[in-house]
Amino acid sequence: MNESSLFSAAFALYAGALVVYFAALFARREGWGRGGLILAVIGLSFHTAALILRTAASGHAPFTNMYESLSFLSWALVLVLIIFGRGARVPALAPYLMLIVVALVALASSPLMPKDVTPLVPALQSYWLWLHVSVTLVGEAFFAVAFVAGLLYLTAGTEEKKEKLDALAYRAVAVGFPLFTLGGLVFGMVWAYRAWGRYWAWDPKEVWSLITWFVFALYLHTRIVMGWKGKRSAIVAIAGFLAALFTYFGVNYLLSGLHSYV
Amino acid sequence: MRSFARFFSSVKLAIVLFILVTLASILGTLIPQGRSPAEYVARYGGLSGVFTALQLTRLYSSVWYLALVFLFALNTAVCTVTRFGTKWRKSFGPAVATDAQALQGHKVKGRFRLPPPLEAAEDRVRGALRSRGYRVEKAGSGGTLTLLGRKRRLGRFGSDVVHLGLLVILAGGLTSTLAGKRSNIALREGESADVPGAAFAVRLDRFETEYYPRGGVKDWKSTVTVVEDGAPVLTRVVEVNHPLTYRGFAFYQSSYGRDWQRSTLVLEVRKRADAAFSRTVTLEVGDKVAFDDAEVTHVSVRQFVPDFMLGEGNRVQNRSQEPNNPAALVEAWKGESRVHMGWVFAKYPDFGQGHAEGRSPLVFVLKTYAAGNYSVLEAAKDPGAGFVWAGSVLITLGFFLAFYWPPREVRVVLEEAQGRIDVAAAGEAAKGREAFRKEFDRIFDDLRRPS
Repeated sequence: MNESSLFSAAFALYAGALVVYFAALFARREGWGRGGLILAVIGLSFHTAALILRTAASGHAPFTNMYESLSFLSWALVLVLIIFGRGARVPALAPYLMLIVVALVALASSPLMPKDVTPLVPALQSYWLWLHVSVTLVGEAFFAVAFVAGLLYLTAGTEEKKEKLDALAYRAVAVGFPLFTLGGLVFGMVWAYRAWGRYWAWDPKEVWSLITWFVFALYLHTRIVMGWKGKRSAIVAIAGFLAALFTYFGVNYLLSGLHSYV
Repeated sequence: MRSFARFFSSVKLAIVLFILVTLASILGTLIPQGRSPAEYVARYGGLSGVFTALQLTRLYSSVWYLALVFLFALNTAVCTVTRFGTKWRKSFGPAVATDAQALQGHKVKGRFRLPPPLEAAEDRVRGALRSRGYRVEKAGSGGTLTLLGRKRRLGRFGSDVVHLGLLVILAGGLTSTLAGKRSNIALREGESADVPGAAFAVRLDRFETEYYPRGGVKDWKSTVTVVEDGAPVLTRVVEVNHPLTYRGFAFYQSSYGRDWQRSTLVLEVRKRADAAFSRTVTLEVGDKVAFDDAEVTHVSVRQFVPDFMLGEGNRVQNRSQEPNNPAALVEAWKGESRVHMGWVFAKYPDFGQGHAEGRSPLVFVLKTYAAGNYSVLEAAKDPGAGFVWAGSVLITLGFFLAFYWPPREVRVVLEEAQGRIDVAAAGEAAKGREAFRKEFDRIFDDLRRPS
């Protein structure tokens, strides 16, 4: 199987997992969720094989254009869903996270995204490509968990559910925020310093990472020092993920700058 | 002074500043920064004046944005310092004597009895706490003792370490802005130039562009030699992502190009009257070279353009830096008098001939042209970068402490009463309360069991 058929197989399996997860959620059969998990794990292994094949074929990290980075982000999201989501004991988390995964994979599969393997431009020829992008995207996958938990919080009925979702969002931020800071900002600065000779240039991508960082810093400060919990916290977490999404996606299509790869 | 401290130690101020800095930063990504005035007029019309006056066109170095960042730094510093003392005492201060009653308010607590004497009971409690990694301090005297066990005490300072890191990074930014030096050094192959602000020079030995087999640039490589006191010190290949560093300066591959003004040309010289006559001359633009002939003593090239076009008033212009229509303005001399002047075109060898001035006996053909490569190196001395790396390490460490090193505290009151020791214990953990409760229960289950 080649990379694109492996990727399509993963797409189909994720879509299957999505259906099973939602069926389990709406039919209130938690046991069915296991079926969703199995499909997600099989999908992830196909997806992993696709990423490995692409890396082998291109000779560089599999996230140098929008198609590749969408694929990697959705891969990280499934991984986080399987490892981190299982301990969350929130039945609605997996279906909605999988919905985001399927949306990302569908976007990556769309004809809008060029899928050609292209050789690396000089600026990207660095091992910092691996560190900067992978750590940042994994951090953003955790922000997605906080986002889903925040949205579910706003629609949750019982206090018990709300408490779990609030705690889940916080735990996701507690992992995502340090990863995003390290991968996005610190590794980004180190690499910018090596490649462009300056660690900070107020490029729109940089500024939007900083904005994302500020929103999550706001989340922590309002929570820890001012005792915000629940609804207001959920809204800040949602805003944080949207800022991260804009940093990742919007900046490239709406604003122009140095960081024109992805 | 006190109200100043109170104002700047407020977390509410921090929240307001978070929001203001965020909104301002967003604004700076919506308005393109640092463009020419004409561009703003074209884009925003009458508003461009307002934008310029409010410094929105160079927002991140504007007075008001820097003032916000300064307030933010001050707020961070004051918040951290004012809360530090309490935290320090809580983590590293001496134990304070308490009583069993005072421990009842905790969520995690327990009571039991131990056999006398008091010293033996104290040793057992100490041992149990120590075996779980707690450091134990003692307070009180006589028949009542308070033991305070603490572990992961640095965990309380995670946020302080992050704040310190942030301030160090801001200090780095300030240092870079005030003390940083940056200059572009454009060098042709073989040329050298003094590095501004440094006591050495750099020489470009060679510049090459490598391409992938299917097109696309693979690499730009400048072979650079550092020259100090006229002597070469070291030679390195500078590529994108691989700067050369020397004596606090870093040299980056910044730009490159072809220097058409220093092209080397090969001209074929023919004579109208003599079909058998053909000689070639190699010369650079601006050179006047000797030509050993009865009719012509010298040949020179006055001008070269890679992409010739005629503009308004038949003025010669260069359309681009690409060699789409290379043309040279060639002159021939007999002694001091010019016998020929005319453009020759590499791609249209016959075109220029009729237009040459004077009754020229000569015909020139532009055979080859080769531009000299030049490479632009950015020389940067950035004394702030070290601060930024140090601050980044602090922030990373601080996050680890804040999220994954939660402090735990256990207080145990031992009271001698009627031939036995009453023990009351209570504890608290900053995070992971379930895990802490398990640990707490295990410690005291072990103690309760008769040894």
